[in-house]
Amino acid sequence: MNSSQKAILEVRGLHKVFGNNPVLNGVDFEVYTGDVISIIGASGSGKSTLLRCINQLEMPDSGEILYRGENVLARGVNVNEYRSRVGMVFQSFNLFNNLTVLENCVAGQVKVLDRCKKEAHERALEYLSKVGMSAFINAKPRQISGGQKQRVAIARALAMDPDILLFDEPTSALDPETVGEVLSVMQTLAEEGMTMLVVTHEMAFAQDISSQVFFMHQGKIHERGTAAELFGNPELAETRDFLSRFRAGRQLAG
Amino acid sequence: MDKFSKLISDIAKLWAGYGNSYLRGISSTLVLALVATAIGCIIGFVCGVLNTIPVSRNDHAVKRFFLRLVRVIIRIYVEIFRGTPMVLQAVFLYYGLPYITDNAVKFSSIWLASIIIVSINTGAYMAESVRGGILSVDPGQTEGAKAVGMNHYQTMTTVILPQALRNIMPQIGNNFIINVKDTSVMFIIGFPDFFAAHRATAGATFLYFPSASIEMAGYFTLTLIASALLRFLEKKMEGDSNYELVAADPLVMSAGTYSHPERSKK
Repeated sequence: MNSSQKAILEVRGLHKVFGNNPVLNGVDFEVYTGDVISIIGASGSGKSTLLRCINQLEMPDSGEILYRGENVLARGVNVNEYRSRVGMVFQSFNLFNNLTVLENCVAGQVKVLDRCKKEAHERALEYLSKVGMSAFINAKPRQISGGQKQRVAIARALAMDPDILLFDEPTSALDPETVGEVLSVMQTLAEEGMTMLVVTHEMAFAQDISSQVFFMHQGKIHERGTAAELFGNPELAETRDFLSRFRAGRQLAG
Repeated sequence: MDKFSKLISDIAKLWAGYGNSYLRGISSTLVLALVATAIGCIIGFVCGVLNTIPVSRNDHAVKRFFLRLVRVIIRIYVEIFRGTPMVLQAVFLYYGLPYITDNAVKFSSIWLASIIIVSINTGAYMAESVRGGILSVDPGQTEGAKAVGMNHYQTMTTVILPQALRNIMPQIGNNFIINVKDTSVMFIIGFPDFFAAHRATAGATFLYFPSASIEMAGYFTLTLIASALLRFLEKKMEGDSNYELVAADPLVMSAGTYSHPERSKK
């Protein structure tokens, strides 16, 4: 994080209520180029809702989201253009089921970015080979495994040349064997300097790749710090609680 | 048994004398059903897309009002044309337009009138089928499309409608088969379809039952062929279950879970 540089994304006082249930209770943070921020926390603490609000798949009830200084929640902002610069990778992949792997990565470039077919194909192939899926360009999503789908989804997001990538529990719907292939792709991206916001339950992974870790609790960022601080020496009781419950669970499993 | 052989000989007699008029009737029926189903599907898809334009509270009041108006109009259209008999709509429009406009507006051909009436009728049913088809596509598909920045129209045409179309193929087939049969009510405004051929020949020969037998067999054959073709089309749309592998996948680990690599020294 570099304070002399302008933030890509600033989130100010974000609130979101579902019915009578407050899900986000005032979230503030900034994202700078090259940041890899992991968001951890118990189920229902608002992690996914936060990401979905950033991408405007959910409309926040109040607060501001500044993308390069411009409030994207304001009227008259071209939401589609903003979304094309903020890539999103979903827990449930959400690949286009009617298109092949290659077409999945081409469609957005051609329709949204107006790239010519040839350039879009080249870029799609480049990113598909980066995630190790260039062999499967002719397959339909239903013909490949969960881990492979998620890697295609990452390639699809990368092909749009986003400024920042949002990952919403990218490995939670995967078999244990396929979690690794997705995590290693994400690790490569992080090492190459991609700006990433990752909601995850993979603590070891979060500890390893993050420049910052947010612990969310009751709709707020309860504690934040570097990976070493937050995992090594959490200050608040809730954070310690969450981490120790998590480690206990892992020991039982392992 | 001689009743049966009498029927056969009557049918043969009818066919020898009026075979061509039956065949012309069949071709008119088929053309009308095909064209009207196709136009009806287009109407249905347009209504479906217009009906699902998302409204957010960030939108301008004029846009919100307009979208609500569009939905109300579609709703009225669907309710009226689904809720009244097609035979009556035919009479209503065919004789109503010249009546109201003092003969300024009238249908220049029975074909045009029939196509329009059957199309908007089919469209009213298809609008609801398409809406159901769109609802049946996983919302994640819409989110995936939105996340790469597609607008509503792009999302619909690239991702949602191709999947919705596959899902509503059985309904489109249903509508086509219904149209093959129900275009027979267009005789009311004088459309020369397969059923009209029966009315003409039976009126001339008084062989009502033999002619009706020809009609029964004819309609049944048409719809049987139509449903076989539709099944074939549905299979085609499923796509190939095979795909071409270009090379091996280098990232799949053959055994065990991901073991976290040591942090690289910085």
